[in-house]
Amino acid sequence: MAEKTYLQAISDGLRQEMQHDKRVFVIGEDVGVYGGAFKVTLGFQEEFGPWRVIDAPLSETAIVAGCTGAAIMGMRPVAEMQFADFISCAWDHLVTVAAKQRYRAGTPVPITVRLPSGGGFSGGPFHSQNPESSFAHIAGLKIICPATPEDAKGLLANAIQDPNPCLYFEHKHLYRRIKAEVPDERYTTPFGKARTHREGSDISVITWGAMVYTADEAASELESEGLSVEIIDLRTLVPWDKAAVLESAAKTSKVLVLHEDTRTGGFGGEIAATIAEEGFEDLDAPVKRITAPDTPVPFSPPLEKAFIPQVEDVVSGLRDLAEY
Amino acid sequence: MAIAREAEPVGSLREVKEAGLDREDLLGVYRNMLVTRGIEERGHILYKQGKIPGSFYTGRGNEASAVGIATAMGPNDVGTPLHRDMGVHITRGVEPWKIFAQYMGRADGPTRGKDGNVHMADSNLGLLAMVSHLPAMLPVAVGCALAFRIRQEKRVAVGWFGEGAAARGDAHEGMNLAGVRRLPVVFVCDNNQWAYSTPTHLGFPIEHVADRAQAYGFEGVVVDGTDVLAVYREAKRAIEKARSGGGPTLIECLTLRMEGHAVHDDAFYVPKDMFEKWAENDPIERFRSWLRENADMSDEEEDEITGGVKKLMNDALQRAEQSPLPDPATLTDGVFATPEELDTPHHK
Amino acid sequence: MATDTAIDVVMPQMGVSVSEGTITKWLKNEGEEVAADESLLEISTDKVDTEVPSPGSGVLLQILVPEGETVDVGTKLAVIGPAGSAPPAPAPAEPEAEAPAPETEPAPEPAPEPEPAPQAAAPAPTAAPAAPTDGATDGKTFVSPVVARIAAEHSVDVNAVPGTGRGGRVTKKDILNFIEQGPPPAPAEPEAPAETPAPAAPAPAEAPARAPAPAAPVAAQQGETLEPMNAMRKGIAEHMRRSLDTSAHVTSAIEVDMSQVVAIRSKLKNEYQSKFGVNPTYLIFVARAATETLLEYPWINGEIRGDQIVTRNYVNLGFAVELADGKGLIVPVVKNAEGLNLLGMARAVTDVAERARNKQLLPDDVQGGTFTITNPGGYGTFHGTPVISQPQAAILGTYAVVKRPWVVQDELGEDVIAIRPIMNLTLTYDHRLVDGALAGRFLRDLREKLEAWGEDKY
Repeated sequence: MAEKTYLQAISDGLRQEMQHDKRVFVIGEDVGVYGGAFKVTLGFQEEFGPWRVIDAPLSETAIVAGCTGAAIMGMRPVAEMQFADFISCAWDHLVTVAAKQRYRAGTPVPITVRLPSGGGFSGGPFHSQNPESSFAHIAGLKIICPATPEDAKGLLANAIQDPNPCLYFEHKHLYRRIKAEVPDERYTTPFGKARTHREGSDISVITWGAMVYTADEAASELESEGLSVEIIDLRTLVPWDKAAVLESAAKTSKVLVLHEDTRTGGFGGEIAATIAEEGFEDLDAPVKRITAPDTPVPFSPPLEKAFIPQVEDVVSGLRDLAEY
Repeated sequence: MAIAREAEPVGSLREVKEAGLDREDLLGVYRNMLVTRGIEERGHILYKQGKIPGSFYTGRGNEASAVGIATAMGPNDVGTPLHRDMGVHITRGVEPWKIFAQYMGRADGPTRGKDGNVHMADSNLGLLAMVSHLPAMLPVAVGCALAFRIRQEKRVAVGWFGEGAAARGDAHEGMNLAGVRRLPVVFVCDNNQWAYSTPTHLGFPIEHVADRAQAYGFEGVVVDGTDVLAVYREAKRAIEKARSGGGPTLIECLTLRMEGHAVHDDAFYVPKDMFEKWAENDPIERFRSWLRENADMSDEEEDEITGGVKKLMNDALQRAEQSPLPDPATLTDGVFATPEELDTPHHK
Repeated sequence: MATDTAIDVVMPQMGVSVSEGTITKWLKNEGEEVAADESLLEISTDKVDTEVPSPGSGVLLQILVPEGETVDVGTKLAVIGPAGSAPPAPAPAEPEAEAPAPETEPAPEPAPEPEPAPQAAAPAPTAAPAAPTDGATDGKTFVSPVVARIAAEHSVDVNAVPGTGRGGRVTKKDILNFIEQGPPPAPAEPEAPAETPAPAAPAPAEAPARAPAPAAPVAAQQGETLEPMNAMRKGIAEHMRRSLDTSAHVTSAIEVDMSQVVAIRSKLKNEYQSKFGVNPTYLIFVARAATETLLEYPWINGEIRGDQIVTRNYVNLGFAVELADGKGLIVPVVKNAEGLNLLGMARAVTDVAERARNKQLLPDDVQGGTFTITNPGGYGTFHGTPVISQPQAAILGTYAVVKRPWVVQDELGEDVIAIRPIMNLTLTYDHRLVDGALAGRFLRDLREKLEAWGEDKY
């Protein structure tokens, strides 16, 4: 065990997978000599050589499609998109080829695409998005959103070992801000299994990624008011732990779904609809969602603060639910 | 102003032997072309009889290009053929009954009814199934070559794309990456002069797609796509070059699409004289003449081949028709792969 | 490859978006021989004109669609059969122009009955429906799904549960607490200190708008004004109806000579007011006497629960109180009235009445009643037939004390006319439990107590 930042956990996890399995290689822009825009692969090229840590041209399609081809040939590629926002350049490939190859041609595509996502530091519209929901909608892709360093390492390892295309959303704003104990050895964290971040009895918050910490702060604040808030960290969106969510909803009968992604078509809608459909008789209040509004991510700090759900927004939402 | 090299036609049997094919091989090539056309002709009829759902595409006129390239591939090489390249599937060894089963959406077909027409491939035969978005598989072929390069394997990937699809970014990104990294990939451009109803001069502003190869740092060559031996020779050269670390080549095979974009298209926009002219260059007829002239193919040999192909077609169709339609209960099967499925020859 | 069974020739689909085709020319006639793959007919579609090859060898037995017709993809166009066979009998109702529609129209679903309110899981009439209100209206009437389910599971009347949610809504916590701590589910009064509605004849009203489905909005006719029923009124309406539908309401009346009570009252009045600040009204005396009597008639203080009869060793007396401005009624309950003497009763009743008028009642004050006294006689009426407050067994109505000429006996035992203060009392009782004789005896005993009131008593 050692205390690591979220970023270190990802880096160490990736390194361990590469040490363990020669088929694993990394490809992306600036990942080799530069060590990656966020330094996740710092020192990797020295250790693994230029043909396992490949500096690619500015070609998201070629990078991701190249990974697909290599994966079909037996490799375990890990693509790094410099910012999750750039995944739109490879959207066609992911949706058209990678997602569908197993279903319609019987060919598994074991690729992992690492996606530094999320905002909170004036990254502006193109460096701050959480583009998880449009991919969650495409059958054949797995969507992973770790919140803790321990999960970041285990989920990444699982993604690399999984025989399916895995989109791994690592939240940039957690990279260096979050530190926690992480096991030293190799391990995997299962997909589709939520983690109870905080136990409570009055309200359930269903969330993932950086919002787990926002929810936690809000819950701590409300604890002094006598409100007991439970926080469920989904960890993965495809597959997602429906049973755990319904169980928590049955326990508290009041649910808040919280995500940093924008509201309309955000994955929270899927969760809310499922709870309404399958947990209707357990509800003591409507399922509430707190999300970013339907706008691109703004740049200027006061605007961004109004965009990203803040602790006080969550506090207010939870209070509102409590009083219902 | 052409930049790419224009290939010379192939002359004698001796020349062909130097390129690596003996007489038996040549008869085999001829047979493969006949099977290719036989499947597509029969499929065409089946489609009009309402026995094949969806759309139906043929590569009539492209048999030499497809069979020629595939004949030059090594047993461990891989490729991403397209809908005009039935000849690649046949040459690599795909059984015709599976193709009919695929067309008819049967449960025993290669995609078990999950995809149609020629969106299929046998990965055990080194083929990857195409998609409708073109040329989406081109950078995937590049990825295969990347794997070979990383593992230092003497294997080559062949990626096909049409002259119309050359307009999309995937083509550029794939070829650029291949050129930058000198990957063992051969790019084949099926230039049949019509992208649906779009003629080449509305698809690209230069004379040959192969002219672009220089921009990516490798050689481009234009070859008469109706000359199976010329195609074969260029393909062999390019594939062995890639295999020995010489990097990519772009081969542009010039043909005419002899039928519509699909069976539901009667290609009214193609000038009639173009059809007439290129009909005189029918690849199968051309090769048949060459074999009669240069390899002494006899009537008996020819009849045996033709008869064998006909029987193969009938048997294949009969077998395919016995395959059941897929059970709706299997609809949601197979969206995700399980770890066991990675234990295939390719995933070692 | 001749066919030995009949084969259908169908309209092919010439392209993904094509849904129909037109027969332009039959190349063979009925009765003609045709070989497999030989062109049989020509068709025209949106995308292309082409010929259709025969699917088999044999004889063209029957042409089903003539030239010029346009049919859907998949329509049977012709039949080919073995040479020498007859055409199949014409299939009945083979659509000529239309493709055979594979689906028949499903029988139209009967329109769902407008429910009085959306289902809660509750079979019990007491479970309120989960009708969402828009929350902004006063007197929240909505029962959430989980509360409805819990209510159903425990046979609890949601109306009996005081609500602490927004607008007085019963929350999951509220009903769970109620089940855990509350008295046996006697659905007494609904909720909170705020305007707990009470019906005119005291039956605990419901806050939840369990009214039947709101009728379609009706326009005012000439000379009419429309105002919506508020939650309290709706609650009263619902409870009245339900009570009458539940109990077998019968009323017996008795006239009481209140002379003794009048005399004692005038003696005690000043003392009570100056010393204790309470006014010993007639109602107090009746309440005191009624409490005593109820202990002797447990069924009248009782309840039907399922097929059991509930009796108690206590009396929780409900008093109908009219709210200010005629806004409605509320029925606060004096608990354990059997332990109160006249002064105690006066104090208790004065207290709850005042708190009721000032909207200071607590949830506990309006639940758990076992018997109710109502006083419609405040305006001078001498008789009435109040509605029982569910799930109680009876309700006592007191009326105006009226000076009447009365036949009494003089010292000699002769009949003479005297002026006496007479009060009519009615007992409205549930004949499912209480028979007329029992009610009569109860009233007789009650009258005796009132007429024989002694200073030293009570």
